[in-house]
Amino acid sequence: MNIDKDQIRMVIALFVVAIIAAGVTGLTDIFTRAPIAAAQKLALHQALQQVLPEHRNDPQAEVFSIEDTAIYPAKRANGELTGLAWEVVAPDGYSGSIRILVGVRPDASIQAIRITYHRETPGLGDGVTKNKPWLASFVDQTLTSKNWKVKKDGGDFDQFTGATITPRAVVKAVKAALEFFHSHHKIMLEQASKHSDIAHKEAGIE
Amino acid sequence: MNKSDILADGFWHNNTIFTQLLGMCPLLGVTTSAENGFWMGAATVLVLIGSNLVVSMVRGVIPKNVRIPAYITIIAAFVTVVEMAMNAWMHEMYLVLGLFIPLIVVNCAILGRAEAFASKNSISDSLVDAIAVGGGFTFALILLGGVREILGQGDLFGFSVFGESYPDVLMFILPPGAFIALGFILAGINIFNARLQRNADTRAQAVQALPKTAEVTS
Repeated sequence: MNIDKDQIRMVIALFVVAIIAAGVTGLTDIFTRAPIAAAQKLALHQALQQVLPEHRNDPQAEVFSIEDTAIYPAKRANGELTGLAWEVVAPDGYSGSIRILVGVRPDASIQAIRITYHRETPGLGDGVTKNKPWLASFVDQTLTSKNWKVKKDGGDFDQFTGATITPRAVVKAVKAALEFFHSHHKIMLEQASKHSDIAHKEAGIE
Repeated sequence: MNKSDILADGFWHNNTIFTQLLGMCPLLGVTTSAENGFWMGAATVLVLIGSNLVVSMVRGVIPKNVRIPAYITIIAAFVTVVEMAMNAWMHEMYLVLGLFIPLIVVNCAILGRAEAFASKNSISDSLVDAIAVGGGFTFALILLGGVREILGQGDLFGFSVFGESYPDVLMFILPPGAFIALGFILAGINIFNARLQRNADTRAQAVQALPKTAEVTS
């Protein structure tokens, strides 16, 4: 077989370009990994501040997981649990899944909810992030205090003009979050207090 | 071609959006506000400067047959770097622009500059070209984003223009509004360019006519 010089040159050129490109992106990855983690942590911190009741601990430092769900506990300075927050995913948004951070008090009522990720239509479905009265309609509710459907489906939550699918998906997901708490609250509260012991011992408080 | 010609050509006469109608995907996708348009443009400018510089440096070294895959690899590397940097230091804007940042790789305007300009011109000319073309692209994104933000939400760069009572015109936030606004902008720019041309023509005629009238009067 006869391989001419041009072919070898082509292979070498592409090889060198690819190696350098991989090196540059690899280096950038090394340099940006820590800042990206910090930015994500800050974004989560801000979201948690909005959905959790008053607390003095660092919910992210005391995170524990139940059935692959990361749960962030909020505690007072004396270790008393004031709430828990975790993220639920609504897979049936109008364009892709919607992520919702739900803050729940130990008595199974909602402290607040916040949309952390969505790709809904601007001006229509994205009302779930902007419409404050609508978001407030979840506050203090429990699994039994409301009919967890949008009004169009015979429930208690408003849909928006021109957008029913997005609110329907969010309502369904928040209901699922409360059901998750209902079926797992024992282990959740137990885990949360156990972690507080460890955290406090580590901090030398007790 | 001197550098001011390259600047004027890249920014206005051969504007990626207004004249060539390239890069429509990011243009229509992210321009729901002027700020989104600005940052998308800034990301594109960075990629364009990087790719034009490197392509210009390796011109003559890369064999002709594999130049396109080599350029795409170079562009993709710069896009990935910009994407990671935005994720790290501009996290919120990164979440807003989302998928459109990796899609800069397939913005044909960038490969177009690599192929049509940087592979044939000096490093300094390629840098000027990248700034001019990128600047023109960013200008178009901010213009369309601004028009849609003002008409759609009554705001500009997040500041209220028409006050709180302005009823949001949903159509301008949605994709059809992008097409309609772009159509009117293109029409306006064509009228403007035609006027410029006509003025230039009449001035040229006047200059030609001058010596003759001078002869008559003397």
